Amino acid sequence: MTRYKNFREFYETSLKPDLEIIDRDRKKVNKRALTIISATVAAVILEIVLIPSAAEMLKGFIPMITGFAGLVSTGIVSKNYRKEYKSKIIAKITSFLDEGMVYTPEAMVPVSEFIKSDIFSLSVDSYTGEDHFRGKIGKTDIEFSEVTAKHLNTTQSNQGSKQEYITIFSGVFVIADFNKNFLTQTLVLPDTAEKLFGKFGQTLQSIGAGKKKLVRLENPEFEKEFCVYGEDQVEARYIITPSLMERILIYKRKWKSKISLSFVDSKVYLAINMNKNLFETRIFRPVADYSFMEENLRFLILLTEIVEDLNLNTRIWTKE
Amino acid sequence: MIYLLIIVVFLALVALILYNSLIRKKNDVENAFASVDVMLKKRYDLIPALVDAVKGYMNYERDLLTEITELRAKAISDNLTSEERVKIGNKIRKDLSDILVAVENYPDLKASQNFLKLQGAINETEEQLAASRRAYNAAVTVFNNAVEVFPSNIMASMMKYGRRTLFDIPDSEKVKPEISPLTTKAEQ
Repeated sequence: MTRYKNFREFYETSLKPDLEIIDRDRKKVNKRALTIISATVAAVILEIVLIPSAAEMLKGFIPMITGFAGLVSTGIVSKNYRKEYKSKIIAKITSFLDEGMVYTPEAMVPVSEFIKSDIFSLSVDSYTGEDHFRGKIGKTDIEFSEVTAKHLNTTQSNQGSKQEYITIFSGVFVIADFNKNFLTQTLVLPDTAEKLFGKFGQTLQSIGAGKKKLVRLENPEFEKEFCVYGEDQVEARYIITPSLMERILIYKRKWKSKISLSFVDSKVYLAINMNKNLFETRIFRPVADYSFMEENLRFLILLTEIVEDLNLNTRIWTKE
Repeated sequence: MIYLLIIVVFLALVALILYNSLIRKKNDVENAFASVDVMLKKRYDLIPALVDAVKGYMNYERDLLTEITELRAKAISDNLTSEERVKIGNKIRKDLSDILVAVENYPDLKASQNFLKLQGAINETEEQLAASRRAYNAAVTVFNNAVEVFPSNIMASMMKYGRRTLFDIPDSEKVKPEISPLTTKAEQ
């Protein structure tokens, strides 16, 4: 709790002066954006009225182009503002939480790591992300960023083949060093089959998981939430101890959303599904707002807390 | 006539599937038991190294060190009933943790790199041992279910398969973690 108390002081002394400057910029940008938007709206109306109905193609086409141009220019105008906000404010909040933590607004967790986690079975054809954080908490290296991964799906039908992107994952992807050494791969996936079909779901799960086999664990609550697959029954249990099961459940409850974990190469990978775009601001919203800033800190704490919650700093085994 | 044949073939097929699945489950149990043995052997291998590392420092725990050395010698000899093995295993486990607790009284020993490495290896082995026991229990549960549930129980009794007993998991391995609900409070 002390972290939150100190944050009030930090906000007043360190963040607020910057926020006020940024807010002045925001008002300017805001005005510019409003001008562009009203000009676009006026142009679209004029075009609809003035272009004769006979030219039906043009009547639809030109206002659409105008509207699109308006949207793009609003985006360009506000982009620099958002960039400045991130590099000044989010970076400051990051170092308030942990001095060694490095924040890069435009970077993301490498796609190779995302694929290595093996949490998602579909191939990744489009990969974007932002808001990358990297640091060391106690003895544990950690990095995370927002990630959106998509798969290009081809469907065959009578009219020929159709291609479209389907989202595999959208949310925050975390990589942390695990405190034990291990050689095989273990996956902890959200359990949809068992929730829907109960015992029959367990039978479904045991079919077809490739090289990995279903690992039945003894915690019924954990089994209801997750489904564990491992290449080695003993090593999977060496990683997922009774205490880690409780810890994962507690951490999941904090997020109230779908989480998947994977243990590969002595590291833990965590994918938290999320619809919200974190660490963002909008030009129509005042930034000098304490609760808005606290929300950023809260997400950062939640994300870095995985180290404490999964007890990753306890190094009583051979791994240092 | 043709119907009778269909029924016979169907029953034979069911019997075959049940038979194979029971064999597979029995093999899983044996496999899991073997992995417990591997981990136990790993534990036994560490004991002489631990005794060597601490005996120079520990003056008051000589008896403990002699006891664990003797227990180890007994444990690796082959002529033991499974009950005796469990008993000796539990004793070794207790002695090991007693030694690790006693180390607290010897700061020099506690700080030595050699000992720290050994302690890490012991913790690791104990946890792997616990994991292999849990894997064994999981395999036995699947096997026991197959032995008792209809219709595989019929096949099981024909194959003379009976229930197998589970390992007792010590209470110390069931401890629940305590996590301060820091963020959950802040969220309110």
